[in-house]
Amino acid sequence: MAGPLIPASTADGATAPEDRSGPARILPGAGRAAWLVARRLGMLALLLAAVFAAIEVLPGDAAQATSERGESAADVAVRRAALGLDRPVTERFRDWMSGLPTGDLGTTAHGQPVTTVLSGPFPNTLLLGSLALALSITGALALGSWATLRPGGRVDRAVAAASTAAFALPEFVVSVALLLVFSQWTGWLPAVTLTGPDGAPASWDMLVLPLLALAIPQIGWNTRIVRGAFADQADLPHVQAAILDGLPRHRILTHHMLPGALPAIAVSTATSAGMLVGGAVVVETLFNYPGIGAVLAGALTDRDTPLVAGVVAVTGAAISTLLLLADLIRDRILGTHR
Amino acid sequence: MTTTEATLTVRQQPARARVLTRALPALLLLLLALASPLLAPRAIDRPVTAPYGPADDAATLGGDLLGRDVLSRLLSGGAPLIATALSIALVVTGAATALGILAALRPRLGRWVERAADLAILLPSVLGIMLIALAWPSGGRLAVGAAAAVLGIPYAVRVVSAAAAPIAATGYIETASAGGERLWYLMAREVLPNLRSTLLALFGLRFVEGVYVVSVAAFLQLGPQPPEADWALMIRENAPGILLNPWAVAAPCLAIGVLAISVNLAAEALAPARPTPETPL
Repeated sequence: MAGPLIPASTADGATAPEDRSGPARILPGAGRAAWLVARRLGMLALLLAAVFAAIEVLPGDAAQATSERGESAADVAVRRAALGLDRPVTERFRDWMSGLPTGDLGTTAHGQPVTTVLSGPFPNTLLLGSLALALSITGALALGSWATLRPGGRVDRAVAAASTAAFALPEFVVSVALLLVFSQWTGWLPAVTLTGPDGAPASWDMLVLPLLALAIPQIGWNTRIVRGAFADQADLPHVQAAILDGLPRHRILTHHMLPGALPAIAVSTATSAGMLVGGAVVVETLFNYPGIGAVLAGALTDRDTPLVAGVVAVTGAAISTLLLLADLIRDRILGTHR
Repeated sequence: MTTTEATLTVRQQPARARVLTRALPALLLLLLALASPLLAPRAIDRPVTAPYGPADDAATLGGDLLGRDVLSRLLSGGAPLIATALSIALVVTGAATALGILAALRPRLGRWVERAADLAILLPSVLGIMLIALAWPSGGRLAVGAAAAVLGIPYAVRVVSAAAAPIAATGYIETASAGGERLWYLMAREVLPNLRSTLLALFGLRFVEGVYVVSVAAFLQLGPQPPEADWALMIRENAPGILLNPWAVAAPCLAIGVLAISVNLAAEALAPARPTPETPL
């Protein structure tokens, strides 16, 4: 019942072992790892090229988007030249791509380096995001394992319904519900984040509500993946043998099912990381939290495309890294099972 | 096919009833949204109370930031959101069905599908939509819908092709294709009928994803613009007054939440069950 739509083999964002493409099948250990790294890097470069091309093809550019009312065409042209938008596309693309590995994300529509704009709020979002990711993975593992103990039982059905409901909810719906319950009716937690002199949230309890608002939908999503992966593992011969041998249930879960389910869980972690970035835009706006998400929401009203493209590049790199980890985990596990 | 058909008829009645009960709240909301011009007690664009006026006889759910009637705006703010999400779900499911079945019948194309899905996973949908809406300022609702559809297709294709792969490997498909049947005939008449429950469930999931994406975009003021009545936009506009009139925010939140949860649970009930029951530990 849990996530039958997403069988682990299709949801885990990577090719099944038997149809590994290219050299991955025949190379020895280190060479294979290098191939996996190269493949993920190639993917990332392709995505960035697609992003750049999309911005290029669609009407409107940064110079026009930031134009004030009543500005003449000449003024816009001057700013276009200042932002370097009048140079040929290929040249700009080469500049942007060659700057990325060195941490240079280009210039915002207002002429500042993107990295400067992002460096202040970045630690705050990293804190919030990594806490939310850790919470959603541990929560999902706990709930998924609990549901797996009795397939089709009351707990399993309740977990399936709750996780399905949770991941359907947009973050702002969860945020509003939390705000109404925990800060308005009970007054236990602050509704807005106040920043201290160092630019970080002033106290820890300001983190709780944004953290929950981000994590609840992700717990739902990951619980379904974990549950589906465990269900796929339960059919395998070595797990069946362990069950027939009468091993303790928690031991079957941790030693016989979890290793095989890990690749799927690792990939869902990567997908979650992406969704958390999207969610952070909403949650940080609502809770006034000083992070990248709030900067992005501001970039939208400012029509600052280069800034958004920079964040897309960084997010893509982070997701690629997590997917690469998933690849390596899968490789290790399949290697030992061969 | 006879065995599956037999199990289908056994399972059909309770399953269908369960899908209907789960989808009922969403259907009710849909009816309300369609009937809003007849039901809305007040004009949606004129102040009837003080800003964030409390709920009383003048306005059942109080007023919003300009004192406009929250109830009337709630009733008329659902239709555009639901319509956009429905069209996204239709486009994504339609495209994914064709491409997914094709990928299952033609493995070389299947590998390209995998690559496209691997690429799409790197771009979170909210960020992708922001990017497209920014680079296409005149696009409005269309830009958001198109972006959501394009970004949603690769993953959906992967789901369909995974469901179609075992069917494509069956004997009757091989027989038909060896007998010289055309590709479109194989796709539409041999594979497609077996994917009914998968596709219905996929449609439900894509609708929920569509609601998510469109409402998050509206919340970020991409797509619908004030003074339009739109559930997500209402939440964004009225959030500052949440202490004065909680209903102005809570009512549209409830509407979006109930819609999404109801369709998601219905889609889950539609999804094909596991072929063999799981062993208890």
